Amino acid sequence: MVLLAGTVGAALAGVGAGCGRAVLFSIKIGGAIAALMILVNGLVTERGATVLLRLGEWPLFGAVDVTAEALMAGAVIGLRALGTMVVIGVWSAAVDPDRVLTSVHRVARRSALTATLVSRLVPLAVADQARLAEASSLRGPAATPVGKAAAARRLLAGSLDRSVDVAATLELRGYSIGNKDSAPARRRSRHDRRFLLSGLAILAALTVNLLAGGSQFDPYPTITWHFGPTSLLLAAVLVLGGLVTRSGSGGIRGS
Amino acid sequence: MEVDAPITTDRPQLLLDGFSCSYPDSDSFALREVSLTVGSGEFVVLAGRSGSGKSSLLKAACGLIPHFHGGTVSGTVMVGGRDTSEFGPGDLADLVGYLAQDPETQVVSTTVSAEIELPLRFRGDGDAARARAVEEVALALAIPDLLDRTVASLSGGELQRVALAAALVTRPSLILLDEPTSQLDPVAGDELIWLLRRLNEEWGVSVVLAEHRLERCLAAADRVVAMDRGSVAFDGRPEGFLEFALAVEPALATPAARMFSLAGLPSLPVGVRQARSALSGLVSAPGADRSDRNRSGDPTVRVGNGRALRCEDLWVELSSAGRSADVLRGVDLAVEPGEKVALMGRNGAGKSTLLRAAAGLVPPVAGKVVVRGGVALLTQNPGDYLVRESVGAELEGPGGRAALDAVGLEVDPSVDPRDLSGGERQRLALAIALAGRTEGDALPDLVALDEPTRGMDRSLKDGLAHLIETIAERGAAVVVATHDVEFAAGFADRVILLGDGELIADSDTGEVLAGGWYFATEISRVLDMPGVVTVEDGVVALGQMTGREGPE
Repeated sequence: MVLLAGTVGAALAGVGAGCGRAVLFSIKIGGAIAALMILVNGLVTERGATVLLRLGEWPLFGAVDVTAEALMAGAVIGLRALGTMVVIGVWSAAVDPDRVLTSVHRVARRSALTATLVSRLVPLAVADQARLAEASSLRGPAATPVGKAAAARRLLAGSLDRSVDVAATLELRGYSIGNKDSAPARRRSRHDRRFLLSGLAILAALTVNLLAGGSQFDPYPTITWHFGPTSLLLAAVLVLGGLVTRSGSGGIRGS
Repeated sequence: MEVDAPITTDRPQLLLDGFSCSYPDSDSFALREVSLTVGSGEFVVLAGRSGSGKSSLLKAACGLIPHFHGGTVSGTVMVGGRDTSEFGPGDLADLVGYLAQDPETQVVSTTVSAEIELPLRFRGDGDAARARAVEEVALALAIPDLLDRTVASLSGGELQRVALAAALVTRPSLILLDEPTSQLDPVAGDELIWLLRRLNEEWGVSVVLAEHRLERCLAAADRVVAMDRGSVAFDGRPEGFLEFALAVEPALATPAARMFSLAGLPSLPVGVRQARSALSGLVSAPGADRSDRNRSGDPTVRVGNGRALRCEDLWVELSSAGRSADVLRGVDLAVEPGEKVALMGRNGAGKSTLLRAAAGLVPPVAGKVVVRGGVALLTQNPGDYLVRESVGAELEGPGGRAALDAVGLEVDPSVDPRDLSGGERQRLALAIALAGRTEGDALPDLVALDEPTRGMDRSLKDGLAHLIETIAERGAAVVVATHDVEFAAGFADRVILLGDGELIADSDTGEVLAGGWYFATEISRVLDMPGVVTVEDGVVALGQMTGREGPE
C-alpha cells in the first residue's frame, strides 16, 4: 500500500508539474517491466499454497504450478520497479538537469557515471525511445515484431550505454577536479516553502511508521499483511505530498 | 613501421612509448607497442581502416584508457608531461580536449552557454572569467548566435561545434578529434577542418585528427600517422603517406593521388591546390573550357512517371523546440525502378525528411508523395532495428530468409547481432526493413538509406556500393541520403541536391558533382571538367589531354 501510494504520489507530482508525458512514458516502461516480473515470478517460483493453475511438466522448469502468492510477490517486485521508474522519470523531467548536475557534483565528485545516471538517463531514454519506436514501425511485415519486453530491454541497455559515453564526456570536462564548483547561487522560488514542508511531512510520517514497526507483508506460504494506522498515515502523506505541485496558482511552471 | 621523415619535437604534448592495451573481456590488443610523439603546434592526421586502433589511441591519449574503459595496459602515455597511469581524464582536462564522433553523447547541459562554461565551472573560474572565455570561444567558432539556444534545438553540425567549443574553452594545448566530420555536410566539414588549422596556427594548439575522408584534411596536416591492426604502420609527411598508401593500403589513398598514380604522373599531390599546380605544367589550365556548361542558373529537373517514387509540390512542416518550420518546400520529384540516386544537401536541407515522408513517417501539409510498390527505409542508426538476441530471432521463416538473401548476408542464425561487424549489422538492419516486402526475386519499388556511410572506411563503402548495385539490378530504386560526395560519385547515376527544403539540382552524377566547390568530388575540383568526377573519369580525361593511354 505504501509502495502504491508512493508511486501514485510521484505520478501526481509529475502531472502537476506539467510532466505528464514523462510520467506516461515511465509508466509504460515500468508497467512492461512489472508485467514481466509477475509473469516470470509466477512461472519460476515454486512457493505458495494457493495454486491457481497447474501447467504440467515443462522442459527445464519441471512441474509448473502458478500460485497466487508467487504472482503477488512478483507484483510487489514489479511495483517497486514501476515506482522507481516513475520517480526517476518525474525527477529527470521536472527538475533542471543542470542544477541536478551541480548538486551531485558537490556531493559525488568522483562519480561522473552517478551524476549522468541521475541527471541524464531519462532524457537519453526518451530520445532513444522515439528512435526505437520509429525503427520498430519501419520493420518489414515478415520481421519478428518488437515485443514490449524486448523493446524495454533494448531501450534500457542502449540508454545505459549512452550514459556511459556521456559520463566519459563529463570526466573529460574535468568533473572530478577537486575545485569548488563556481555555479551561481540558485535563486529562491515561491514554491520552496511548500516543497520543504511536504518533504518534512513525508520524512516525519516515514519515521513514525518505522518506529511503530512499519507495515508488514509476507507472500509465503499464504499472503499475509499488516497495515497499522501509521502506515495509512504515511500512504496518505505520500499521496498528498504528490499534490504539492498543484497547490497554488499555476503549478511550478513559470516561476 | 615506416618513417618517412624524422619528426623533431622539442616539447612533446603527447608521448606514447611502447604502449599496448586491450579492452575488458577481449583477447586481442586494441593497441600494440605504439610509440609516438606529437610536438607542440603539430597538426597530425590519424589514418587507418575501421578497427585499426585510431579511436583507442585517442582514448589512451586523453586518459579514458585505462581510467574509464578499464582493460589491460602496458607501456607509457604522457600528456604534457603527465603520466596517464597516474592522472585520469579529469586531471588532464586543462591540457587536452577531446571530441568524439557522436556529438549527442558529448553534451551534458541543457543550454549551449551552460554546456560551454561547464569545464570552467568545474575548474572553479569566477563569473567574469567564465563569461569572457565563453564569448571568445564562441566567436572563434562562429557560434555566438547559438549561445542562448537549447542543445535539443541544434542540428548535428551545430552540436558538433558546441562540443568542440566546450573542449576548447579551457584553452587546452592538445586537441584530439575522432572523425568529427562524419555527420557534417561537405560545407560544414571543410569549415571545421580549416577552423582547426586556424586554431593550430594562431593559438598553437596541437591537433590529432582521426579521419576516414583524408582528401578533406590531408592538405591541412603537417604529418600523417597510419594505424594498422593496433600498430603504427606509417609516420611521416603527407606526401610520403600517399606513396605508402598506394603501395601498401590503397584504400587509404586520396582520389587525386590515385588518379595521378594511375595516369603515370610523377608526383603525388596533397590536396587540390598541389594537384592543380602540378597539372598546370602538363595540360591546359584546369577549368578553362567551360563553354558547354549550363549557365542558366535554373535547376535541371528530370521528368518521369515516378513509378518508384513521385512527389508533387510536396510540403512538409516539422516542429522542434516549440517552433514549426517548412522543411520541404514544394518538391517535385520522380524516381523510376532501378535508379540509383544520391540525395545531397547541407545539414537541415530536408534529405531525411524527404525519405521519412516517402516511408509515411511524416505527413505532407500540402502536395503529395506516392510510393506505389512499397518502401524499405533504413534510418541513420541501424542498431535501432536490432532488438533480439540472435539473427534468427530477428528474422524467422521464409520471409526472413528471403530478406537475408536479398542483402547477401550469410551468417549463423544463432549469432548475436551485436557480435557482427558494422557492415554486417547494417545489412541485417536493411534485411529487417525488407522482410516481407520481397516477392520472389522482386524487391519493394523503393529502398531508401539515410546516411549509411558514417564511420565507414573506403573498403566498407565499396561493399555498400556493391549491395546498392545488386538491389538496383533487381528492379528497386535506391535513394541514398548522404554527405559523402566521393561515395555518391561511386554508386549513383543521378544526384538530387536539396537546399533549404527546395530541389536545386537534379541530374546525372557527372553533371551535378562537377563544377561546384563543396558538392564536388576531389577529382572534379582538380580538373574542373564537365562530367569528370571519379578517379576513372579523371584518368581517362588526363590520358586524352596528355596523349597517354589510360589504365585498362
